[in-house]
Amino acid sequence: MIMPSGQQLLLPANPVFIWTSLIAALLLDMLPLGRVPWMPDFLALVLVFWNVHQPQRVGIGLAFMFGLGLDVHQSALLGQHALSYTALSFFAAMIHRRLLWFTVPSQALQIMPLFALAHGVEIVIRLISGGNFPGWTLLLAPVAESLLWPVVSVLLLAPQRRAPNPDQNRPL
Amino acid sequence: MSKLMVFSALALFLMVADLRFRVTQPIRAAVATVLYPVQWLAMQPVRAVQHGGGYFTALSQARASEDAARGQLALQSLRASQVEQLAMENTRLRKLLDLRERLDITGMAAQVLYDAPDPYTRKIIIDKGLTQGVDLGSPVLDESGVLGQVTRVHPFVSEVTLVIDRELAIPVLNTRTGARSVAYGEPSASGGGLELRFMGSNSDVQQGDLLTTSGVDGVYPPGLPVAKIDKIERRAESAFSRISCIPQAQVLGAFHVMVVKPLGGQIPARPADAPSPVPSRKGGAK
Repeated sequence: MIMPSGQQLLLPANPVFIWTSLIAALLLDMLPLGRVPWMPDFLALVLVFWNVHQPQRVGIGLAFMFGLGLDVHQSALLGQHALSYTALSFFAAMIHRRLLWFTVPSQALQIMPLFALAHGVEIVIRLISGGNFPGWTLLLAPVAESLLWPVVSVLLLAPQRRAPNPDQNRPL
Repeated sequence: MSKLMVFSALALFLMVADLRFRVTQPIRAAVATVLYPVQWLAMQPVRAVQHGGGYFTALSQARASEDAARGQLALQSLRASQVEQLAMENTRLRKLLDLRERLDITGMAAQVLYDAPDPYTRKIIIDKGLTQGVDLGSPVLDESGVLGQVTRVHPFVSEVTLVIDRELAIPVLNTRTGARSVAYGEPSASGGGLELRFMGSNSDVQQGDLLTTSGVDGVYPPGLPVAKIDKIERRAESAFSRISCIPQAQVLGAFHVMVVKPLGGQIPARPADAPSPVPSRKGGAK
């Protein structure tokens, strides 16, 4: 694969780690922290991350299933998160070749419209189906999600950045 | 691209099925059962913090609250003995007048697991479900009034729509005047309240009137406090006044609730068509 120069070659991703991170993000979303409209959606963030970095392993189908799970947990309209995650995952897979050529902060900037779109889909669906408007702080959610992008990039790529041949001086 | 189409269509189908046909309950129940261990795990850190906080509250505070509770208990036991006597008297009088017995209320205590994070509705999740015998449509109360109604039952948990949700309406009775009306949920970003709709601008309502359940719906037992009237706005351009109420139950911070069996099962069936001189209208007043 053609890569931007000066970047480290990464180890192959561990499927167990991918699944663990997805479940952990689901757990974070399920923490009973009350009703905060601007709470970033960690599951969407991690799903997009793996869609961009490992499109072969994490695709639209998985995003749909996780969305369905979150719908049931939040007792939202069944299919609301499923639809927004499907769209999110599709657009993430569409831009994944281009995105990795940029530095991480500009990646975060480019990923923000995706999150805004996902939240927009949910708002439109819920307002059509007769929900009440949750307040303007909802607009901060996509911003918070893209601010977390660099953090997630560091955390989730760390296992792949380990040395390929660990020895006494480099145990990790 | 084709995958996007397939999954979007599937999601849209699910939404329509959920909204219009109400056929998605089995899917929800299955997913909820699979998710239950994960939910339980997510609940643990918050529980631990709550319990830890409770552990470190001062002893004096616990003593004070115990004293207060004892005082209240004494008051209530006095009242309870009076009520006992009154209840006996009431049954005797009812028998004399040949009125039907009042329906008895059977309830089950439950704990609130979490506020549903969905920002578009007002719901809570409680820790009793189908396996514990929760019925769909059961009224849910807390210690100070009606909190809401069970709208979905999963195997281990159930979902309660609060009285301040936009989709919930509850028939109420103004205890001061005896006028019946219906209160609708009116959520707002900061808490929320109820609205008494379709009350004429000359109707007799006052600030501070207590609204209780009227019991005409066959769901809520009569006489439970629902809300207090907070603000009355008489408008010149409309025949109705705008009346907002404050819910009596703790809609924001309820922790222990009671799930009551809906009255529908206890009400005897309507008598078979008795030969009546007046032709009865279909769907007449209940």
